[in-house]
Amino acid sequence: MNNGTKQPKRSDEPIWWALFSAGGVCFAVLIPGVLLSLAVLYPLGLISAEMLSYERIHFMVFEAFFGLAGLAFVGAAICLPLFHAVHRIHHGLHDLQWAHGPVAKVICYGAAILMSAIALGLWIF
Amino acid sequence: MTQTIVIARYNPELDEKPHQETYQVQSDDNTSVLDALQQVQQQDPSFSFRWSCRMAICGSCGVMVNGVPKLGCQTFLRDYPVGLVITPLSNFAVEKDLIVNMEPFLEHLSAIKPWLINTAEGTQPHVQTPKQLAKYQQFANCINCGLCYSACPQFGLNPEFRGPAALALAHRYNLDSRDQGKAQRMPELNAKNGVWTCTFVGFCSEVCPKKVDPAAAINQGKVESAKDMIVSAFKPTGAR
Ligand code: SF4
Ligand code: FES
Repeated sequence: MNNGTKQPKRSDEPIWWALFSAGGVCFAVLIPGVLLSLAVLYPLGLISAEMLSYERIHFMVFEAFFGLAGLAFVGAAICLPLFHAVHRIHHGLHDLQWAHGPVAKVICYGAAILMSAIALGLWIF
Repeated sequence: MTQTIVIARYNPELDEKPHQETYQVQSDDNTSVLDALQQVQQQDPSFSFRWSCRMAICGSCGVMVNGVPKLGCQTFLRDYPVGLVITPLSNFAVEKDLIVNMEPFLEHLSAIKPWLINTAEGTQPHVQTPKQLAKYQQFANCINCGLCYSACPQFGLNPEFRGPAALALAHRYNLDSRDQGKAQRMPELNAKNGVWTCTFVGFCSEVCPKKVDPAAAINQGKVESAKDMIVSAFKPTGAR
């Protein structure tokens, strides 16, 4: 065991933990509002179809705030929550002793990176 | 009245593995688990367990009561009308009966340098304002009982994890205005077996008899470690 004679290696966990934390905030603050408006109020007819018209959404996603509103939405509603979710899955796999080590890590965070890239790609093109 | 308690027994010289035995003890409203264990020892002098102060100060009487880590002297039979099963502290190797090997815990404690590191010369006392004291005081109440290690599933999976009490103590000294040792302690916190093994289960803080709240200390330690990583990224490699 190490008693401070030689220094242990720095963990890269702060990076994943920071993304996890940011994603947690998005999950708690933004996602409920998104689900409420898109998945509950809209199907119930409590939001007029007009509010979600193509022109309006197109403006919000690609033009509002120099087009950055769409980027912020993709980041906050998709990418960061993805990192939050895979972080939980990664640690859950370790806790259940189903998988740990570099392979599980690459698959989990790799999936979040890949899906984030697809989401951002759809926004860009 | 008479109460039945079940105790895990293990004599490494005779038994292949631990087994449970049932005992009858006299109890009233004031009978603690420690009192009951002492009664059992009078019935069977070969029964071993640790204790010293009887007042939740020395931290030596930790046992599992119905699967939950408790101080024997601070836990009362009156709260267990349906009976108690007393076993040694989880996540440690059993040496005999209720006695576990605390050596790994002590190694983790000493690894984080739990003392004031201050190179200032002279005989002047290090003065501190009440506000500076309040910053770390809660984390300074630890009695090294080890209950939090028995409560921690991550320590159970990975005994190399520095663990709740050690990391809370590191945080306690890092927050102390008289201390200059933070840079020496951070590498231990930053490591995989430092704060980053913790997944904020929080059971350590629930079982802590001194309300140290090690889970809070570790998670504040995560923020410190993340900051430390950012700072180190702007330093030349040799200075990390
Ligand atoms: S933090 Fe609490 S439970 Fe852990 S060793 Fe210290 S007093 Fe015991
Ligand atoms: S005997 Fe000292 S803490 Fe219980």
